[in-house]
Amino acid sequence: MKKYYQISGQISEFSDLPFWKKADVVDLVYVGYGLLIVALVVVSYILGSVNLLPRDPQDIDLQLIMAPPGTAGRLLGTDFMGRDILSRLIVGIQAYFLPGLLAILIALCFGTGFGVLVGYRSEKFDTGITYFTNLVDSFPRLVLILLVIAAFKPDIYYIMLVVGLTNVPVVASLVKGKIQFLKQKNFIEADIALGLPTRIIIFRHILWHHCRSLLIIQATLGMAEAILIETSLSYLGFGVQEPTPSWGNMVQSGANYFMQGKFWPSTAPALAILFTILAFHLLGDGLNNILEDKRST
Amino acid sequence: MKFSAIRPIALVLSRELVITVLLLLGVSFVVFIILFASPGDPFSVLLEGQLSTAEAKAGLRDAMGVPRSWYVQYLAWLAGMLSGNFGTSIRMGLPVLPEVLRVGFSTLILTIGSLIITLLIAVPIALYSALRGTNKISWPLTMSSYVISALPVFWLGYIVIYFFTHKLGLFPIAFGFSSAGQKYRWLYQLLPIFVLGVGNGTISEVIRYLRQEMGRVMAEDYIRTARAKGASVWKHAFKEGLLIPVTEIIASKIPFILGGAVIVEQVFNWPGMGRMAWQAAQDRDYPVIMGIAILAAFFVRMGSLFQRVVYVALNPRASKE
Amino acid sequence: MTTAPILKIEDLRTYFYSRSKQAFIRSVDGVSLEIAKGETLGVVGESGSGKSVTALSILGLISVGPGVISGKIGFHSDRIQKDLLQDLGDFVKLTTRAGKVMEVTKDVVGWERNTERVMSKVRGKEIAMTFQNPKSSLNPFTSVGKQITEAIRLHTAMKIEREAKERALTWLDRVKIDSPRLRFDNYPYGLSGGMCQRAMIAVALASEPSLLIADEPTTGLDATIQSKIVDLLVELKSELGITTMLISHDISIISRLSESVAVMYGGTVFEYGPAKHILSAGFESKHPYTSALLASIPSAQNIREKGYLPAIEGDVLDTINIPEGCRFYSRCNQVTEKIREKCARQEPDLRQIESGHKVRCWLYFD
Repeated sequence: MKKYYQISGQISEFSDLPFWKKADVVDLVYVGYGLLIVALVVVSYILGSVNLLPRDPQDIDLQLIMAPPGTAGRLLGTDFMGRDILSRLIVGIQAYFLPGLLAILIALCFGTGFGVLVGYRSEKFDTGITYFTNLVDSFPRLVLILLVIAAFKPDIYYIMLVVGLTNVPVVASLVKGKIQFLKQKNFIEADIALGLPTRIIIFRHILWHHCRSLLIIQATLGMAEAILIETSLSYLGFGVQEPTPSWGNMVQSGANYFMQGKFWPSTAPALAILFTILAFHLLGDGLNNILEDKRST
Repeated sequence: MKFSAIRPIALVLSRELVITVLLLLGVSFVVFIILFASPGDPFSVLLEGQLSTAEAKAGLRDAMGVPRSWYVQYLAWLAGMLSGNFGTSIRMGLPVLPEVLRVGFSTLILTIGSLIITLLIAVPIALYSALRGTNKISWPLTMSSYVISALPVFWLGYIVIYFFTHKLGLFPIAFGFSSAGQKYRWLYQLLPIFVLGVGNGTISEVIRYLRQEMGRVMAEDYIRTARAKGASVWKHAFKEGLLIPVTEIIASKIPFILGGAVIVEQVFNWPGMGRMAWQAAQDRDYPVIMGIAILAAFFVRMGSLFQRVVYVALNPRASKE
Repeated sequence: MTTAPILKIEDLRTYFYSRSKQAFIRSVDGVSLEIAKGETLGVVGESGSGKSVTALSILGLISVGPGVISGKIGFHSDRIQKDLLQDLGDFVKLTTRAGKVMEVTKDVVGWERNTERVMSKVRGKEIAMTFQNPKSSLNPFTSVGKQITEAIRLHTAMKIEREAKERALTWLDRVKIDSPRLRFDNYPYGLSGGMCQRAMIAVALASEPSLLIADEPTTGLDATIQSKIVDLLVELKSELGITTMLISHDISIISRLSESVAVMYGGTVFEYGPAKHILSAGFESKHPYTSALLASIPSAQNIREKGYLPAIEGDVLDTINIPEGCRFYSRCNQVTEKIREKCARQEPDLRQIESGHKVRCWLYFD
């Protein structure tokens, strides 16, 4: 049963509703949840950097091994060495937060730069960009990263540099596509005919008005990917090393205990990964639907 | 497909083949550059590894003497590669190519198997969502697949192993089995395929893409015409709405799945490319990791080629482009 | 009328919904018309008047928003006689305030299922439709010929591919497509707009329907092609004598093909009657909108009369905000003091002023 209703008889031409009323509830929930988690992550990052933690993440307390959540003030319990899981999770964010931002920054800056260059200035580079995109896409990210690790060193910043660079062609072709679309619709011609300076055309009209939703979504996806890669790498032993906590290596070190039926030390960080990556994906989805006036159907 | 269409299709495909070769060359170049730029001298290790005798190796050093320019080194290495010589593994001392091909085949099984599982789950959900919209049935299904997809795949692996070993009472974890676990061996082999298919995040991407494409096609004019003439909408929509998008998403997700395979092979100790790459990265075993990178890229491009073939076969206009 | 009309629409309402404005878009707001067997009804109106939506509503092709919410569509052919919206009341509940529908509760899924059940016997076999954009309305992945044979195999006695192909070739020939045997295997992208339109007509006619609905068959084509398509339609009409509902905003093709005309504006029918009465220049009793429309057509006579081409003042009706009273009031240039109050406050109903000719205007009723 669907119910449609109209409130007043006369609708003014400009009575478009504010976005929180006309957006699908589902999208608002997605965005709300996403923003909540993002806020938590940012706050945790700050707490982690100034070392304002509930307990010392390295503090070993052999009396309290594998304590369930809530015991003796450890909100999320302790791991197999008696260390407070919550503090370790908070510190674990340090491992991916800044590197992730680096990856996003590189991808978005260079990506839009190239995209605007190719889309706006000349189409000559189009084949080149396509070739390059296909080239980059031919590598599984993780394999490429392992290659970089073998050649250089397992520094997370190097790795995020690589991740960012591999995303540059993606962003570039999205931006280029948008510009071609605008060209086709004569928006850009109209701007030029109006005598607008190129600076304004590119920055305000193209990027801010038309590309901002796609860039925001790329940023959320980029962060989700960064988390995935960092946790996978530290799981594999290449990232942050014990005893410094990273969500990936926490899962890995808890693995043996998992098989013995003691799930929590591995599960807590796994759930953290789950909820955070999910949050970024949903945030991207929801924002996309709201900003582009689509339904989540 | 008519016979008259075969000639233009062959033309398009040969063009695709040329592009694939160019891309693979580009891949080899990128791999080379990365190594060349790294500190130390991995390169001579690589070149030397392509020679089998000590005398030849010494001869190379002499001949090299003053370090040669990079493009000559690249060409020398490339020439070796094209003749099948991928160098020798630093760690194992075995020639790289046969080893990499062996594990590559193993990973291929894992990849294709997981793709089948992903499609079996994702396609019905995507189609149902596209046709019926968001409702009481499609939303929970879609949402739970998103959640399961966002689970870290290594953790999912543990859960699955735990259930398998404890609930079913089977304990062998290593890949080779004693006679006790023989009959469950094949079942255990399916586990990593299941985990990679379900947990890697592929399901949510596939559902999202397929639903979007099918939704777009359903809104097309020609579907309206089909409905208006009482024809089966499915018969008209499935080419553009299902077949083509499925091949597209498969081709584009292969790199992603290979990445997930690296992890899954770790968890299950599956003897595939991913595990070998991990080992090689730890050991700085350059020839091996390069060989794997190139083989992985090869798989990806094959998938892409397959997708182009299907597209050209189905789309009458493609053969004219 | 001695025999029942093939199609009789009574007070059809099809609404859409704008979420951003939280209001109904009243595309078809009370349309009544009928088509007698063997005749061609021309439905004229500007863009936005609801003509295409009416056609889509007949075939149950509305898939957005509330869609069809009230009315009757009586269909009477040799094989089927029923009201196509018979069960609508079971699925829809309306709430009106001040004479306007303000709330619609509709079981969309259920109605969709019901429509499929009812219309599956009607679509193609009884009623066939051609659409406005011929190139995009044909399946780009199937050859043109196969799309015709599909219609033949679904709706006529010829189920075998070979027979159907032969019949399809004759149809291609009949719609004046050159080299039918070659064109049979062509894909829509290889055909020009005019040829695609001909092919679509062939697809529609090949299923041998009792009623053909042609939605803007000439719009979007080049002017010379347009007249060729009209020639084709005239020929087919005399050859086959098929009952047609011809929708167009081009009055010239309506006048060449129709016996009856329905003039639509703002979602409703303003005038309905024999074409020779409504469209001929000298005839007096006409809705002010119709006269204004006819006066604004570029023609030697119009320009001679006035010296310039008169346009209708004002803006086209906004189908979200439908005014009280007559929909054309704000733009009408024939309002007299006597009826001004009525025109502003009350919407006239469609009343007969002489045999077979109905008008919705206070000028003709006291």
